[in-house]
Amino acid sequence: MINWIGLYTMFRREVERTLRVVVQTLVAPVVSAALYLFIFGTVIGTKIEDFAGVPYIQFVFPGVLMLSVINASFASSSSALYFMRFTRGIEEVLIAPFSYLEMLIGFVGSAVVRAVMVACLILVTGILFGAISLVNPFGFFLYVVAISAIFAMLGIIVALWAESFEQLQVLNTFVITPLTYLGGIFYSITFLPELAATITRFNPFFYFADGIRSAMIGYSEANTIIGVVVISALIAFLGIMLTVLFRRGWKIRY
Amino acid sequence: MSDYILEIKDLIKDYGSGKSASRAVNGINLNIKKGSFFGLLGPNGAGKSTTIHCITGIAQPTAGQIFINGVDVVKDYKLARTKVGLSPQEFNVDIFATPLQLMDYMAGYYGIDSKTRKDRIETLIEQFDLQQHRDVKFQKLSGGLKRRAMLGRALVHTPDLLILDEPTAGVDVEQRRDLWQYLKELNAGGKTIILTSHYLEEIQYLCNEIAIINHGQIVAEGTKEEFMRDGKSVEDTYLEITRSANSKKHD
Repeated sequence: MINWIGLYTMFRREVERTLRVVVQTLVAPVVSAALYLFIFGTVIGTKIEDFAGVPYIQFVFPGVLMLSVINASFASSSSALYFMRFTRGIEEVLIAPFSYLEMLIGFVGSAVVRAVMVACLILVTGILFGAISLVNPFGFFLYVVAISAIFAMLGIIVALWAESFEQLQVLNTFVITPLTYLGGIFYSITFLPELAATITRFNPFFYFADGIRSAMIGYSEANTIIGVVVISALIAFLGIMLTVLFRRGWKIRY
Repeated sequence: MSDYILEIKDLIKDYGSGKSASRAVNGINLNIKKGSFFGLLGPNGAGKSTTIHCITGIAQPTAGQIFINGVDVVKDYKLARTKVGLSPQEFNVDIFATPLQLMDYMAGYYGIDSKTRKDRIETLIEQFDLQQHRDVKFQKLSGGLKRRAMLGRALVHTPDLLILDEPTAGVDVEQRRDLWQYLKELNAGGKTIILTSHYLEEIQYLCNEIAIINHGQIVAEGTKEEFMRDGKSVEDTYLEITRSANSKKHD
């Protein structure tokens, strides 16, 4: 039987933790997104012609939102689990009646909840800048949940692997940030030379940004089926990998 | 139905693998009767905490079997976890959470519904005299209050077996006496308790059965009376046994 109350408690605890450090967890991403929108949307965007039938601010907004969702989910799961390992608070979860899959759902779900909270606040910020367009709200919600689940799982892997605070930042600094910025969040791949555009199509982050953008403004540069397959495959691969790691107790059980 | 709440059969626990592997527990067999107050003694690194970790799920046994009230802690681990409560040696908690929150989260993890959870936490807060401190952050509590909060957390799902790993470490004499009183009352109410402690007068005062672990093996086991034969204290017998075991090891 699934431990629903246990899972709900894990989600609730993360929400309470998020609200305890609200400046770091919710205010900072909103300020950051507002700055992106002001600079790229209001200052530079007004000098750029409409693209894909929408003002530049609307074109760039989905990428800004995705950036915040990625950061929120990754930071939530990696910091929560790393600190739990560090303080041995993880033992609270280990001695409780959770299956390995429930543990995974609990950690990932908690990070997704925080990412969705951030996404909602960024949407409100987008309204203030007139950047909002939402042609497919359900698809948008699915993309936000799926992308935050992927980065929550990456955060868990890093939290399990890291032996220091510095290592906790390695994946973010050298993989996530470059791939995000090179995944077309601020530009269309039609702006790129052919070779660069082809390389971008091998960057999974391109499909994340494109998916959110297509759900928001209805414009897509990627093959939607390939995008869905890439996202689903990543979720399945990371999910199986983490279930195995939890089952083995890698770095969390003695 | 077995008379034992805990049955450990040929438990082995190795840390690491290959050449770096070390054996922390080396074939422990132990049966603990329902309702007993059981003292688990041994020097540092003897295997006490490792055994407790294997019972509670914090460590994975390398070999052997552990049953809590007849439930296998490896094969049927979800059910087994509901039957045991642990108050660990280290404060493995979110230090910014309050005693109320710690108990509430833990009860939630055990799948206890909101109404039952609330009632049970109120009872525990009263039982451990935490009314004045229920909403104080854990890091601001004194050593004794922290231990009481940990006890409350360990008992919030009404486990059949309560394991206390050094529950009075860092607690002053007066507060230790208070904790002893709580523990006596719990055991008198039918709760089976396993206690590890370096304070041997604590073991002598509280426990009715005792086992000594040394070098990952049980080297002595019996009732408190057996440990106190010929006018000896538990401490006298403990030192006799561990010194003898250590000298054999060095020979």
